[in-house]
Amino acid sequence: MNTTKAEEEDASELKIGEDFLKAKCLMNSEVAILLEHRCEQLKHMSDDPMNHLPQVFEKALQYVKRFSRFTNQDAVKQVREVLSRYQLAEYELAVLGNLCPETAEEAKAVVPSLKTKERNHDDEAIEKLLQDLLMIKKFE
Amino acid sequence: MFFHIVLERNMQLHPRHFGRNLRENLVSKLMKDVEGTCSGRHGFVVAITGIENIGKGLIRDGTGFVTFPVKYQCVVFRPFKGEILEAVVTMVNKMGFFAEAGPVQIFVSNHLIPDDMEFQSGDMPNYTTSDGSVKIQKDSEVRLKIIGTRVDATEIFCIGTIKDDFLGVINDPATA
Repeated sequence: MNTTKAEEEDASELKIGEDFLKAKCLMNSEVAILLEHRCEQLKHMSDDPMNHLPQVFEKALQYVKRFSRFTNQDAVKQVREVLSRYQLAEYELAVLGNLCPETAEEAKAVVPSLKTKERNHDDEAIEKLLQDLLMIKKFE
Repeated sequence: MFFHIVLERNMQLHPRHFGRNLRENLVSKLMKDVEGTCSGRHGFVVAITGIENIGKGLIRDGTGFVTFPVKYQCVVFRPFKGEILEAVVTMVNKMGFFAEAGPVQIFVSNHLIPDDMEFQSGDMPNYTTSDGSVKIQKDSEVRLKIIGTRVDATEIFCIGTIKDDFLGVINDPATA
């Protein structure tokens, strides 16, 4: 049963399983804030925090630090707010926030589900969305 | 992709941990047990962010251990087929290259690297276009698409491609 489930999985069609459709997707920038906060907490609790961090945590932290588009906490909040005006699925929102595509064509290439179904995402709307993202980045 | 998700686990606790600090003991044991683990279904558990609910404990026959059902929120990293993400190249050889996105390893075979990129051996093996303008080597940042995942009980391994529109190198360490 498990294997059939894995075969049906396809993020480009938003098939990511029931568990994850219900879950909240996090952008790299949001994870960075979360994990850094956690790191701080651990530092207060023990003298030698780096030794206690599991490898998965360490790697995730390095990754999100490297690939965060937005570092300012307010900017990150704003990105989510702006993107949530466009009737996107959680997953689509997070991919756009992570990759910050520059053109509508690029956006549709990285999030193919944008052009499926009768969703009112014409190029104009996508272009507008990308403009909004760019503005936040500019004024961060 | 990172997710914030609610998971449940039955925690067994030795009676010596009972008392005023039972809850703290339970939570710290949960963190020790779960953080850093990986399951095929939910991916890598990066960090626990909160406890939703701790259910009533049940004494196990014969041992005195008590089992508590604990619902907790956590950040997980779970790669999906069809997902497009950024990753750091960790190793390059003539078969292709390995990249890392957080805790997950992704292999991109040379069949899934654009045909105009050729393998160059040397002390810094790399894939380079014939005009030398684009180069993939260790520490390059690439945007790739996951086309397959292999999941076993404790690990997730991915196969990726950069042979598609808007995929490939985003940052070259040599020029950065």
